[in-house]
Amino acid sequence: MNIIGLYKKEIKSYFNSPIAYLVVLFFVLICNVYFFLFSQFVARNVANLRSYFALMPLIFIILIPSITMRSWAEEKKVGTAELLFTLPLTNWELVLAKFLSSLTLLAIMLGITVFVPITLSILGDFESGQIIGEYFGTLLLGAAGLAIGQFISSITSNQISAYIFSVVAILFITLIGDISFFMNPTAVLSKIFSYLSFSFHFESFRKGLIDTRDMFYFFIIIFYFLYLNVKVINLRK
Amino acid sequence: MIQAENIEKKYGSFTAVEDITLSIGRGEIVGLLGPNGAGKTTIMKVFTGYHFPTKGKALINNYDVYSDSLKVKESIGYLPEMAPLYNDLTVLEYLLFICDVRKIAKEKRKKEIDRVVAECGLEQVINRPIEKISKGYRQRTGLAQAIIHSPEILILDEPTTGLDPNQIIEIRKLIKKLGEHKTVILSTHILQEVDAVCNKVLILNRGKIVARGTAEEIRKEMQGDFRYSIILKASDIGSVKSSIEKINTVNEILLFDKKDNGLIDIKLSVKNDTSCGEELFDWAVSNNFKILSMIPEKVSIEDIFIKLTAEGDEK
Repeated sequence: MNIIGLYKKEIKSYFNSPIAYLVVLFFVLICNVYFFLFSQFVARNVANLRSYFALMPLIFIILIPSITMRSWAEEKKVGTAELLFTLPLTNWELVLAKFLSSLTLLAIMLGITVFVPITLSILGDFESGQIIGEYFGTLLLGAAGLAIGQFISSITSNQISAYIFSVVAILFITLIGDISFFMNPTAVLSKIFSYLSFSFHFESFRKGLIDTRDMFYFFIIIFYFLYLNVKVINLRK
Repeated sequence: MIQAENIEKKYGSFTAVEDITLSIGRGEIVGLLGPNGAGKTTIMKVFTGYHFPTKGKALINNYDVYSDSLKVKESIGYLPEMAPLYNDLTVLEYLLFICDVRKIAKEKRKKEIDRVVAECGLEQVINRPIEKISKGYRQRTGLAQAIIHSPEILILDEPTTGLDPNQIIEIRKLIKKLGEHKTVILSTHILQEVDAVCNKVLILNRGKIVARGTAEEIRKEMQGDFRYSIILKASDIGSVKSSIEKINTVNEILLFDKKDNGLIDIKLSVKNDTSCGEELFDWAVSNNFKILSMIPEKVSIEDIFIKLTAEGDEK
């Protein structure tokens, strides 16, 4: 696999532009302001971070697209897509390099928030296993969003439309379970809808449980959209 | 090195090129010439593996551009029409990225980068963000990217656009130098470029090759004769015209214009330039005419280009 070169370049591009810093800053601020001010964590006197992680799917709806919107749309606009497609790289290498670099940015972002549980562990008795499960689930949730966003970036020609369509797509797949609740459909349909949704599969992670079925759900979503991404960049031919 | 057999490329229902058959050997610099939309870029994109042909076969070093695209891409350096640069990287970062992807060994990198920086004249901008450099430097950075891995084949889409005259001369020199050991395909619509750089020309119109060969061969094929433009001084003007017609090598009098001051402007279409020049001179001497100027005129590549591409329009 020849993905290191492009991976390094993508990371450099993120941190050479203000976007990465803004995204990380925004994420850390929102998480903590919400957690400490609005959910009144300290007042509730419980030693877990469920309400902290409950917010992640909603934050990711607006945050993940801002990481992936440039991915392909910018390459196409500037003309560098032509370079990438004529360098000795396979389509999978191109797609994976881009995906892994955005995943790295996400991991860095989550990594910065680790100081919250570490600080709180001085105050109370937190279960480290639970927190690891919560972080792992959040990373998977984010990765699935990144795969969707990257795919959408490959079918749009500018960043703005890539962002808007990605927000709509991730919003839809996150909340499809809850939408079906309002539509009052038959019980089976409602189950199918909720089974397809991000929030349904994030639920057990949020409690700190690692359920392989949920893991596989996110893996399948990631693989499927990366696969679609590979197919789309093949269409240029 | 480069072979194409009956290549056809369609975009939807639009046929960009059809029936392209060509063969290019090592050390040849081939110019693709044609009006906008003639299919130059499409042919290049097929050879670089960016597009795949709808019909026909394209081979680079005997590797098929479709089934062996990685091998093909390794042996090619490609500069697209718009230099493909990342504005948020510096020139050095960009070249290092290309080294990474092209798998140039770590210990060789400095040498290779120094080489292309010198060849493309990038010393002054090496640490500047690409966003901040001029169009000329952008083009040269793009070229540096294309030659950093010393590819056997270089494909350059309008490599001199946006450069100033001095830079154009330098880049042409560089291309010529590279062409001694490599195969170069370049497209251009600057006609002098073909004469200055290329040793073979393909003229395209509406997706088809309408002429091929060396510039000299195309000239001959297009125009079997040469022309002379003569200014003559003669006391007996009346005898001039009738005596010209008796010269064997003269095909046609294109212009015969008497000036007020006793001079005559003559344009002749002749069969062969070397002996004809002598014959015309002898003719003037024996008739006691004085030749004030006698200029052989080559048919320019512009004339050929206009003629070939205009013919296509009539169809």
